[in-house]
Amino acid sequence: MSLEAYASAKRDEIHTDVLLQARQACYKARDAFYSCLEKHSDKKPTEIGSVGLLYPTECKPSREDYVKNCRVSWVKHFDRQYCKTKRTQRLLDDKETRRGV
Amino acid sequence: MPISRFIFFSAKRRFAHASNLLPRFGSSKRIQSCGYTKSAKNNYYKKPTGHPVVNVETQASRSSGAYIIPPILLGFGGLLAFLHYNDERRAVKIGKDSYTGSDTAAAPIIGGPFTLVNSENQIVNEQDFLGNWVLLYFGYTSSPDIGPDQVRIMAKAIDTLESKENLKVLPVFVTIDPQRDTPAQLRAYLKEFDPRIVGLGGPVSAVRQMAQEYRVYFKKVEEEGDDYLVESSHSMYLIDPKMKVVRCFGVEYNAEQLSKEILKELKKHQVNA
Repeated sequence: MSLEAYASAKRDEIHTDVLLQARQACYKARDAFYSCLEKHSDKKPTEIGSVGLLYPTECKPSREDYVKNCRVSWVKHFDRQYCKTKRTQRLLDDKETRRGV
Repeated sequence: MPISRFIFFSAKRRFAHASNLLPRFGSSKRIQSCGYTKSAKNNYYKKPTGHPVVNVETQASRSSGAYIIPPILLGFGGLLAFLHYNDERRAVKIGKDSYTGSDTAAAPIIGGPFTLVNSENQIVNEQDFLGNWVLLYFGYTSSPDIGPDQVRIMAKAIDTLESKENLKVLPVFVTIDPQRDTPAQLRAYLKEFDPRIVGLGGPVSAVRQMAQEYRVYFKKVEEEGDDYLVESSHSMYLIDPKMKVVRCFGVEYNAEQLSKEILKELKKHQVNA
């Protein structure tokens, strides 16, 4: 496609779900969901989110809110990041219990 | 068998082994081996006149020895001569080209010409940026967290430089996701950060060419139809008025550090220029 053709093509659709307001709403929902996870971390996780993230049924409504407000690829990205931080935290905390292993 | 014994003995002689280590070999053998080495040397210069014993018994080994050693010496001498000549040649070369502009070796030579479309649907190429300092960032609007953060840092640094130091650096955002980031999309996205940021997009081939010139890695991941993320090295390039890339900043810089480093580069450039 030549440059001129690209420049003149009228493509006015804007993805509003990545603009500022949508981003803020997504971050808020995401933080609400993760704080719910932290709060109920002692409960057994029965539901499965994306990329292997497990969460208990108490957090189901916040999870739905989160998925509604963010794009699917963003949900996956944040979930993966969360799992990674959890895993490194577990490795760091486990030092006392797994001595000499 | 006597030939091999002679060669063995001569080797022992050369490495200065005392021959009385092997007393079982009679003195006659020793004399013969001594004659072997002497006659080989003599052979190089004149016809062999040595011991008739040696002549008769070591004829075969001496002739082969005579044939092996001079070429080896010649070869070695030739190698030395070649190395010496090579050194001379290289020394002259280095002395002639003086290393001008030694700070070009500090950064890799990246960058090049590009032709893209800005958010006003106008065609832009690198000539339009000559004469300005440019802070270039390759990103995309659908980035979940790193993209917006980096653009915010860029905007803040530019703002700091302009208000505090009165230095104009032009921020440019090039999208590495041109299929989804239309000019209208870029305009809407960048407007929320800073009106000064120039958004550039274009056809995929043009963007890919520019990314290649600036050695930017980008790749579509997590693809689900139209919804995907683009993995990239989120780094900003500082470009001087001659369109030469001066420095590259990674994600570890926050706004103050970025503005401080840019200020340093600008001051250094003024000293050099």
